[in-house]
Amino acid sequence: MAAYAGRRLALGLVVVWGLTVVTFLLARVVPGDPAARWAGPHATAEEIERAREELGLDRPIWAQYGLYLAELARGDLGVSIRTHQPVRDDIRAFLPASLELTLAGMAIAVVLGVPLGVAAAVREGRWVDHLTRVLSVGGVSMPTFWLAMILQLVFFKELHLLPLSGRIDTMTPLIHPVRTITGSYLVDGLLAGDWPVVRDAAAHLALPAVTLSAYPMGLIVRMLRSSLIEVLGEDYVRTARAAGFAERVVVYRYALRNALAPALTVVALTFAYSLTGTFLIESVFDWPGLGAYAALAVLTNDYPAIVGVTIVVAVFYVGLNLAVDLAQAFLDPRVRKGVVR
Amino acid sequence: MDGKVRRALGAAEEATGKARPHRARALPAGRRRLLALVSLLLLLSACGSSGGATGGASESEAGGSAEPRVAVYLTTTEPMIFWDPSDGFSNEIIAMNNMYETLLRYDPAKNTFIPVLATDYQSSPDALTWTFHLRSGVRFHTGKTMTSADVKASFERTIAHGKGAAYILDPVQSIETPDDRTVVFHLKYAAPMDLIVSSPYAAYVFDTDVLRQNGDDWFTKVHEAGSGPYMLKSWKENDALVLQRFDGYWGGWKANQFDTVIIKPVEETSTKMQMLQAGEADVVDQLPYEQLEALRSDPNVELVTTPSWQNLLAFFDTKKKPLDDVRVRQALSYAFPYQSVIDDVMHGMATQARGPVPAGLWGHDDQLFQYTEDLDRARELLAQAGVGQGLELTLTYTAGDENERRVAELWKAELAKLGITLDVQGLPWDSQWQLAKADDPAKRQDIFMMYWWPDYATPYSFLWNMFHSEDTINFNLGYYSNPEFDRLIDDANTLAASDREKAVEEFARAQEILVQDAPAVFIYDQKYVRPIRTSFGGYVDNPAYPNVVFFYETYRK
Repeated sequence: MAAYAGRRLALGLVVVWGLTVVTFLLARVVPGDPAARWAGPHATAEEIERAREELGLDRPIWAQYGLYLAELARGDLGVSIRTHQPVRDDIRAFLPASLELTLAGMAIAVVLGVPLGVAAAVREGRWVDHLTRVLSVGGVSMPTFWLAMILQLVFFKELHLLPLSGRIDTMTPLIHPVRTITGSYLVDGLLAGDWPVVRDAAAHLALPAVTLSAYPMGLIVRMLRSSLIEVLGEDYVRTARAAGFAERVVVYRYALRNALAPALTVVALTFAYSLTGTFLIESVFDWPGLGAYAALAVLTNDYPAIVGVTIVVAVFYVGLNLAVDLAQAFLDPRVRKGVVR
Repeated sequence: MDGKVRRALGAAEEATGKARPHRARALPAGRRRLLALVSLLLLLSACGSSGGATGGASESEAGGSAEPRVAVYLTTTEPMIFWDPSDGFSNEIIAMNNMYETLLRYDPAKNTFIPVLATDYQSSPDALTWTFHLRSGVRFHTGKTMTSADVKASFERTIAHGKGAAYILDPVQSIETPDDRTVVFHLKYAAPMDLIVSSPYAAYVFDTDVLRQNGDDWFTKVHEAGSGPYMLKSWKENDALVLQRFDGYWGGWKANQFDTVIIKPVEETSTKMQMLQAGEADVVDQLPYEQLEALRSDPNVELVTTPSWQNLLAFFDTKKKPLDDVRVRQALSYAFPYQSVIDDVMHGMATQARGPVPAGLWGHDDQLFQYTEDLDRARELLAQAGVGQGLELTLTYTAGDENERRVAELWKAELAKLGITLDVQGLPWDSQWQLAKADDPAKRQDIFMMYWWPDYATPYSFLWNMFHSEDTINFNLGYYSNPEFDRLIDDANTLAASDREKAVEEFARAQEILVQDAPAVFIYDQKYVRPIRTSFGGYVDNPAYPNVVFFYETYRK
């Protein structure tokens, strides 16, 4: 098991390194002049030249890459051309918001998706099955920005129940200063036991998290339903039923465990994707996350930020993939023992 | 928005007799019987609404007896890029002009200077020596009292940094401080120092002592040391910048001024609009035309329209055939759909430009010749120049700017009627600019579209940057070179320091030459339309300080 994990980890590092080469080169061969952008609007020719030296852009590209790697080894991701802040600080500012939103969205998706998927499979062809089909197909196919705006219309404009956008009311952290531990207002508020912060953060989180959960929830329901139906038709399930186990035990204890694998993979990959792929949701809810940051970085050819975000997301992808594989190995001894299926 | 702010805003509006929607405290029972998804939301929202109820307890904890007055300004882009007042040359001026102050402030409506840190000033007849008398009792947020040494140190630091708009201080030879309250600028050449020190960039006065203690990069680590009415309270990137009133401000405070100012970037325009309508924002920097129209019917919202100093131009490559022929450039200037651009693209939020100097800025000449759409005249000129059908031209604009794209497409349709093909290319700004500065002139575009706005209140910014001969191309993107024009504007700029009326005449003569030479199409002067809450009093849009709200002048009605 340890050797398996070690091998996968080493492979992951190679993937991340390869990505730095590709993104760095791609971002730097795109026409454009980062020095001009760095120097700001209405910059004089001298100012741009000085910026070019300051950024090391006057050196050959391999030297620039070498310098970048050396800095990266020290944990330094360079300085953003657009924000003039260290990329590490930028990511530190935006990642917690994305993680908070993604985790909340995934939690809703799993909490609602798993029981719905099980219900649909167990009562195949009955009204529960049809209802969940409508829900899941709707969740997967509905454009997220549209769903987001509908939720805003209903819960902000009509019912005045939830805030329109943002992570927290600007005044809340000023009135209730909470020490930043995780970077998530919700979790930090809980840790500090500061209820006004928790309430405000939860209210702000509700709509974007529900919007984000729609797609993975639909996927979980559909995938779990089909794999569970397949598993429920297998011999050992019939044996278990014949042996007189309660249906609840058969489904949740034996069948679900084997049916979960595909849904788990979906959850993990959607999670990594959602860190930067939820740009539309972040944009509609004005959620200061990594997606918006990445999109702006690409639009302005802010190459240190592009490479920095790529590395962070790649690390998540690789890490989650690894975690999923290990979880699969845990769930399925054949993977762990190296039995090829 | 919750607790204090919500109720502070609410209280103010109740005072003016305006009702606003309150967040429901109890949920209608019927709505609970919905799908699981909805009930989850309701649960969370119930938490949210009770948040408002507990706000009161925490206020007494905070110690304030009166509720703070809060102003909220929504901007399109991140309000803080540069934190260093010497280097700032971007959106941060909207916050910096509230945290920092300049010696003077320019009022273009009255063409006068408002004394800020300087109470009055004199210049020598040759305009080479400028003496500013400083206000007494000015304190920095650091607690230090401002003296002439601070003014000298601030300007000298900005010049030494040489970043951002520092080049506007190029005329400064030396700065002298005969006493604590007097600053004398000695110039290398005559220049309008009164206009320069009122620039929204590179002209701030700050406490430089804190840098000696904390290092020269202290500002960039999110600190400020200004003397302005508001001081930094907190900032989160891509989130709110919160400013708090500075109790030691030399101007003192009145009861209805704002205690707290929140400047928040909100990208989504519909969010901005809804926040403004719900009373969660007081002022929005800009909104698309459709939303402005929708806001006209809202009694709680007012639209403040002001001519801006930003204009749109399209430069011809005056060095490339056939655009090196003035008749072709004039023909293309006649073949431009000015009215359609103003009506259909800008929806009236612009006026047709008259030369490169926007209306409302001194030096603008309202008698200057203006091209109007006239395709027959254009055909005639093209025939004279021997340019027939089949001419192909490439136009570059800044990708992402919908207005520029639409303008280019309309022009393309007009030119097609003359048998000219316009290839419209959107490029990111730095790529567009890089292509225009390409070493090989053959690679450059034929037509370059961009906006200009001045660094300080002078027509020279437009005329010199975009049309003065350049050895190394920077912003003269039509590659225009006319020694007579150069001489006229350089003379006029020198005159501007001592005899502004005479300077205006010289600038006008230069612009006549320019318009005849037609190195660019002068498309439109933009108007600013700022949606504000009617309860937001005292707001005046000063085009010399683009997008800046001087919050000290505003109050809650």
